Amino acid sequence: MSYSELTLRYFTADAFAGVLSGPDTHRGAAGSRAQGTWVQFDVKADVKAGSGTIAAARFLAFGCPHTIAVSAWIAAHAVGLALRPALPVSVAELSERFDVPVEKRGRLLIIEDAWIAAMKMPGLAQ
Amino acid sequence: MNRAVYLDYAATTPVDPRVAAAMAQCLTADGEFGNPSSMSHDYGDAAADLVEKARARVAASVGASPGEIIWTSGATEANNLAIFGVAQYYREHGRHIVTARTEHKAVLDPCRELERRGWRVTYLIPDRGGVIDPAQVAAALQPDTVLVSLMHVNNEIGVIQDIASVGAICARHGSARLHVDAAQSVGKLGVDFAHLGVDLMSLSAHKAYGPKGIGALIVSRRGRGETRRPEREPVQLAALHFGGGQERGLRAGTLATHQVVGMGLAFELAHESWAPEAERIAELRERLWRGLAAHGGAIRNGDPERSVAHLINVSFEDVEGESLLAAVRPRLAVSTGSACTSALAEPSYVLRALGRDDRLSESSLRFGLGRFTTPSDIDTAVAVVGLALAHLRKVGGTCGA
Repeated sequence: MSYSELTLRYFTADAFAGVLSGPDTHRGAAGSRAQGTWVQFDVKADVKAGSGTIAAARFLAFGCPHTIAVSAWIAAHAVGLALRPALPVSVAELSERFDVPVEKRGRLLIIEDAWIAAMKMPGLAQ
Repeated sequence: MNRAVYLDYAATTPVDPRVAAAMAQCLTADGEFGNPSSMSHDYGDAAADLVEKARARVAASVGASPGEIIWTSGATEANNLAIFGVAQYYREHGRHIVTARTEHKAVLDPCRELERRGWRVTYLIPDRGGVIDPAQVAAALQPDTVLVSLMHVNNEIGVIQDIASVGAICARHGSARLHVDAAQSVGKLGVDFAHLGVDLMSLSAHKAYGPKGIGALIVSRRGRGETRRPEREPVQLAALHFGGGQERGLRAGTLATHQVVGMGLAFELAHESWAPEAERIAELRERLWRGLAAHGGAIRNGDPERSVAHLINVSFEDVEGESLLAAVRPRLAVSTGSACTSALAEPSYVLRALGRDDRLSESSLRFGLGRFTTPSDIDTAVAVVGLALAHLRKVGGTCGA
């Protein structure tokens, strides 16, 4: 299996790996380790600014390099985005950007489910 | 750019420079390039002499007679010739075969094809260490069993099967012929065809510092009155290829003199050096295991007391297999427990047969050590795997990140 340069870059990056704590932090997870793919996002809402944006995001991912890379990319690019129950870019676009084989695209849906679960915040339109 | 440390000697080995030099002598106009089947001139005779010298070298290295060596393109072809050849020849005597779940695909796939054609196949399940008890073979034999096919050394976990005991059981049975895939054996341990009670044995050159594309099937020619099987005739095979009558009519086609010469010398060298080499490599393997175990969550696959020195298979907890391989790949050439037949890796069927779950079966690495492996290579491997595990356990949330 070969991977794109972008996939390898985010697969090996761990700057946004981990968890967040404290008020205004929300967690969502999807998948299962036993099934081979599990993803968790922690998202901290920027409530002070009242702007409804993301102040910080972290990820944890157990899975293939594409799963880890896409999860890492989302966490890295989340700050400043509007709080809304959708990925920053679509699953289709992520699939193309990271050159995800068609057999693995279901794993991107697990990432999407984890992200949407993290965005289930009180007062946020679902 | 530095190449990755090579620890995949169980997949293939580099050709020994002495072997490559001998092969080169058979390729060009000033060497022995003739067709070994051409008996009408000296070019052919010279090539034929080299082929027979190589045949004698291979035979001597594995305790066989030169006349028992049938050249093939490799162990896969040898396995096919043995399994289909016996099944076809003895089809009126019986249509039952015994093998094991942990065999190489080059044995399992022919067996499955025979099942599709109406044969019955019993697949033995090893114990958790990967060992087949000879008593399992005895219990599986039926009156119409015509073939037992078991590998000598497992290619994924390195476990050595008790072939001599299985050979004795087959001899007592009468009609069950014993085929042994010994592709991983030569150069790793002593192989004595005549004393193992084996009817057919598959060999491969490229696992023993010879070239790819050449192997052999040893077909016993011993009359049973000359051995401990007086009640049986030598094994017979139906040919799978036709056209030219080479190799006793069992494998038609012009012989590749350079490949044959390469295999002959490679096997002779392997036979001369395997014992001291195995001792040195066993020390390196234990150094590797100690280093890997220190990373935590490492599980050794296969019974270490029954394994060759050159191979160690380790599953790692809390990491996913494809990611583990991807993380080590820039600096380490090893195999994974997954069979990457598509973009989706499948858990190793060998490790699954040992009772490992899917996750541990996928997250295994097979380290194959060899003639050119150094202590520095081992230390690099330990460090590279350690970094990969730390990274994956951090992003996976299993190391307190």
